[in-house]
Amino acid sequence: MRFFSFHLMPYPALPDDYDGPAWVTCPNSLFDPGVGSQIYNRYLDELILAEELGFDGVCVNEHHQNAYGLMPSPNLMASILARQTSRVRIAVVGNALPLYDPPTRVAEEFAMIDCISGGRLIAGMVVGGGPEYYSFSINPAHARERFQEAHDIIKRAWTEPGPFEFIGKHYKLRYVNSWPRPVQQPHPEIWIPGVGSLETIEFVARNRYAYMGIPYFHIDVFERMFKMMREACQRQGYEVDPLQLGWLVPIYVAETDAEARRQYEDHFWYFVRRLLPGINISPPGYTSIRSYENILKGAKTFALNLKTWDEVQAGEYAIVGSPETVTERLTENLRRLGPGNLLGLFQLGTLPADATRRSLELFGTEVMPKLRAAFPAGQPVLGAPAAVA
Amino acid sequence: MATSLSDGRLSTNVGTVQVLRAGAGDPVVYLHSAMGEGAGTLFLEDLADEREVVAPVFPGFGESEGIESIDDMDDAVFHLLDVLDRLGLSSPAVVGLSLGGWMAAELAVRYPDRVSRLVLVNPVGLYLPGAEIKELFGRPLRELAQDMFADQSHPMAQMMSQLDTMAASEVDIPFEVLRPLLQSMAATAKLAWDPYLHDPKLAGRLHRVSSPALIVRGAQDTLVPRAHAEAYASGISRAALVEVEGAAHLLPLEKPAELVELVKAHLGA
Repeated sequence: MRFFSFHLMPYPALPDDYDGPAWVTCPNSLFDPGVGSQIYNRYLDELILAEELGFDGVCVNEHHQNAYGLMPSPNLMASILARQTSRVRIAVVGNALPLYDPPTRVAEEFAMIDCISGGRLIAGMVVGGGPEYYSFSINPAHARERFQEAHDIIKRAWTEPGPFEFIGKHYKLRYVNSWPRPVQQPHPEIWIPGVGSLETIEFVARNRYAYMGIPYFHIDVFERMFKMMREACQRQGYEVDPLQLGWLVPIYVAETDAEARRQYEDHFWYFVRRLLPGINISPPGYTSIRSYENILKGAKTFALNLKTWDEVQAGEYAIVGSPETVTERLTENLRRLGPGNLLGLFQLGTLPADATRRSLELFGTEVMPKLRAAFPAGQPVLGAPAAVA
Repeated sequence: MATSLSDGRLSTNVGTVQVLRAGAGDPVVYLHSAMGEGAGTLFLEDLADEREVVAPVFPGFGESEGIESIDDMDDAVFHLLDVLDRLGLSSPAVVGLSLGGWMAAELAVRYPDRVSRLVLVNPVGLYLPGAEIKELFGRPLRELAQDMFADQSHPMAQMMSQLDTMAASEVDIPFEVLRPLLQSMAATAKLAWDPYLHDPKLAGRLHRVSSPALIVRGAQDTLVPRAHAEAYASGISRAALVEVEGAAHLLPLEKPAELVELVKAHLGA
């Protein structure tokens, strides 16, 4: 099992009287640059702490024009982390490829981060969230085609001698000749996040990349997505490697179960009720009708529909409790889902710095060692014998 | 005495498309809106009492294939030309609603001799600063219904509101109910997401339209501001503008009899 600390860099200070969406049309007059100045530095500290605590990697991601995640350029953050850490993998999950024109910029920036970090980059590539097609006025009906072309350009830029020409439908580049090239050969590990779209899963399986299940759904939805991924790999003629699967889940650890809930619950609801509204916009044409039907099956369990803490616990929307409880819940769910990468979301908005830090420390010292023992590297995770105390 | 439309298929370069037809006489081609209205539209059935009504369903809507090969209005116009050729329609009258009105206008500026008479009903297609077309994509259906219908008791307005209520109360909506709407919106997005529901070059080309044109506007249309109908009417040299009271954006569904009278008068003139 590999452990990652995932950060969204959320905005913690939406005013109480604002009840609109956090995406696309959320007025940017609500952004206080003073708050921004303070939290960016605090959030970077939280990621750097993960290395000290023994995590295998840190994750940043890309979102635009919203209060949910203040990281329009994860590559800026990843490049800072490349200098300020020395051991952890730096996963950018991911760059929203269709938003880059030309996408050779992604090949170049990722190669820079890989060079600066000495080969620690995990290169995430994503179609981009539905809201981003509104924020960028990019035709959602072209999302998949642009993603596919951009991916091909980037991979070829890393693996084929340049210069070469790429004339596609959306990108027409006379000279592709990326300077620099990545340290990792033939290219960095590639991760693709998804919410259960068949096209995405088939693409990941075909290329033997890793699939990251996007959170805030009932645990059953992850189970179905990972099963789809396993079957897609089998159709390609191989068994999925656990390292090809990642589960992203909010985690909070405190001394006791009661303390954990008392300290965490209000912050979880700020995240769900204030920062998620608008994230679920799915513009027309963004997914095929076939995939849409599949995604709809999970849509009703999306966290926006949560009403009570009992529902949160029952659906494993967040793993919250004492070190013993968190270890037990994670063990059970990892055995059920079978991923080789656990991506913990340790900060989700208003959670104070000291509480976030304490939770990370408890996870690093009390939970992670037990999970490492229960899920040794290179061994199956799905249905693993649970030898956890 | 309404004539119901027959449901036929036509082979085209992009795939098999659906063509609804009824009646006999001088042909009238009807180009539908982003809602994909067709069979069961009273306006078409009433018009078919006197004319041959031909309503091709655009790729991506209904049963028509081929949206994969169409990316923009340029592709759409070439597709329409193919459809007209294969139907043997050299110079029909063309009536278009909203998105279909925009398509009809694009056809008429590029190939003026292929359109004998033009009727644009609440057409989109132009960008007018200060009079922007409201958002069509991703809005709650109940809200959209208010732009589409002056009378919220219209069965389609009721259905849109009902779907909205079901979604809000987490009731399972059968996917077969959602599918046509999702398909229509996806096809519309492909043509009109960016630039949003317009072609920046169209206004400068409207003088190319040579046929007599009638611009019909639903007086209660809150999706497309009145300025758009006025801009079409002033940009096309032989154009008249008529407003119909008691109708919003989907005028042919709300005031079919009034529209039939207007169209007959315009085609007979």
